[in-house]
Amino acid sequence: MAYRRGSALLVAPVLVLSLFLAGCPKRPATTAASAPPPTGTPGPSAAAPSTPGAPGPAMTPSPAAPGTTTTPSATPPRPSEFRETDNLKDVFFDFDRYDIRASDARILDANAAWLKTNNDLVLIEGHCDERGTNEYNLALGERRAKSTMNYLVGQGVQANRITIISYGEERPTCTEHSEACWAKNRRAHFLVKAR
Amino acid sequence: MSKMVRPGRPLGFLVGLVLLAALGGAFSSPPAARSQAADVLLNVLATGAKKLNIVIPHFTVVGGSDPQLGRSLSQVTARDLTFSSLFSVVSDVPPIPGGDPAALQAAFANFAAAGAHAGLQGLLTLRGDRAQIEMRLHDLTSPEFRLIGTKKIDLPAAQARRLAHKVADEVVLQFTGEPGVADTKVAYVSSRSGSKELNLMDYDGAGSTRVTSNNSINISPVWSPDTRSLAFTSYMRGYPYLYRMFPFENRPVQVLAGFLGINTSPAFSPDGRSVALTLSRDGNPEVYVLTLASGAFRRLTTHRGIDTEPSWSPTGREIAFVSERAGGAHIFVMDAEGANVRRLTQAGFNTQPRWSPKGDTIVFTSRQGNFDLWGIGPDGSNLRRLTAGPGNNEGASWAPNARHLVFQSNRLAGGYQLFTMLADGTEQQPLTRAPGESTSASWSPRLP
Repeated sequence: MAYRRGSALLVAPVLVLSLFLAGCPKRPATTAASAPPPTGTPGPSAAAPSTPGAPGPAMTPSPAAPGTTTTPSATPPRPSEFRETDNLKDVFFDFDRYDIRASDARILDANAAWLKTNNDLVLIEGHCDERGTNEYNLALGERRAKSTMNYLVGQGVQANRITIISYGEERPTCTEHSEACWAKNRRAHFLVKAR
Repeated sequence: MSKMVRPGRPLGFLVGLVLLAALGGAFSSPPAARSQAADVLLNVLATGAKKLNIVIPHFTVVGGSDPQLGRSLSQVTARDLTFSSLFSVVSDVPPIPGGDPAALQAAFANFAAAGAHAGLQGLLTLRGDRAQIEMRLHDLTSPEFRLIGTKKIDLPAAQARRLAHKVADEVVLQFTGEPGVADTKVAYVSSRSGSKELNLMDYDGAGSTRVTSNNSINISPVWSPDTRSLAFTSYMRGYPYLYRMFPFENRPVQVLAGFLGINTSPAFSPDGRSVALTLSRDGNPEVYVLTLASGAFRRLTTHRGIDTEPSWSPTGREIAFVSERAGGAHIFVMDAEGANVRRLTQAGFNTQPRWSPKGDTIVFTSRQGNFDLWGIGPDGSNLRRLTAGPGNNEGASWAPNARHLVFQSNRLAGGYQLFTMLADGTEQQPLTRAPGESTSASWSPRLP
């Protein structure tokens, strides 16, 4: 789908903070157990349907309340803390595939070689074209980022320097509805952050 | 003397029953428990009519000082009953004075002569901050136009439009044995603001309201069975975490799952106690079930490929999902513990399984050239195509009566908007025509 996006979504602000990437990639940032409902007494009543006759919710949406979110703990650096770099080139994927193409392996070899010359953290974004459904494409983008990460790790880049994120089909670089454009969107993209 | 249309013999009655089943599949009461209104519908259908003709005069304002409200609410009810596809509606008729049987007889006599089978009178009272309506349903095929159903409904005045929806749902209940779906909401994603934000609107597209404004990406809203909350995926904190919000209450947004990797594709269990979802915390996208009371996650799938998009059966005993374990994306079903996996689809690229609230159909999106909606039985039988263009047609969500679907299509210029259709793919019609794109619809259960 070709959503028109505001520039705010396309620009990753450069925020070089001295946060330290803690933990391995499989560590949970938070769980529901750490964020219980404010009124949630344990037990099935927390989610039970309201009974007829009970005071129901006013069926008028209240305004969105930013800033009231329960804060996840122990997160990796935010994606907005990573910056673009010319030293790491994108790799591309076939439709509904996440294996690294032979021709793109050389690009990843070069990316790995550059990463081994420094100690930066790296964020790998997995992207999809607009075809397919949002939820499936989030999974597909995750697999693309993960395949890319695994390749770099195989080339000797430390796994604990790498964070992956899937944007599914949500952030295309090209918004025309053509195979040429879709091919550009099926990509893994790299950002870095000094630590 | 009787104007009531009576089937000449039992066979005619049976034909009526079959027609009613085809129309709604909702007539579950035994014949002895049928309402008088149900008899009217059966008798009308037995004559070969496809729909019941109902006249809906402007509602009569008996208390309060806003006659325009009686007119506008009656037209909301009229549109609801037309949308149900069970009725042929005549509306925009002057109100019938309250407490005047002679006037009522005279008004309905004209419509009965013109072919109306039923007449609906609404008596509207506005008092302080409350709005009340008394609906009175008359059988125009009977002598004296007998009263076959009545109900009083009371709501805060600010929700007066819901009175009209609730009247429509009561009329459908009287005639078919199951309430209509007019008093429901649709949650969806709008890109109008430049970022994808969650919106709510009435099921008919009225009253659209934005309920997130975090300027990130908010997708995949789904209703909890009690209609009080929505689960959704958001990038509001940078990564795709799963959240739960309470759009009608002043409660903070909760984090349901914030693991590294994706936290996506939520689906509430029918009892509301669990959420099925997709996590990649263990290395690749797998389906899990989160028990809300304990916060415990249980992993259901263990394949090295993608497993995602869970959808519960209405019994809560099975879950449909998407897996690429057989190569390509296909629809599978497993039991709620993750065992007894079976494959449903054989060809194409198939995603977005959505299990009907009646249990007999799983609607999904299939790519065979363009994307279109298909249906299949949970046992793999009765595969059928529901849409055939134009454009792509995706992301179906069931109305709670399993008779209607809302979906997204880019058949018109300007990108994706929401459309509705009957469960067999007929009567496709636009629902939204909003700036930006409107996608990812979730039709709520009936409101309390």
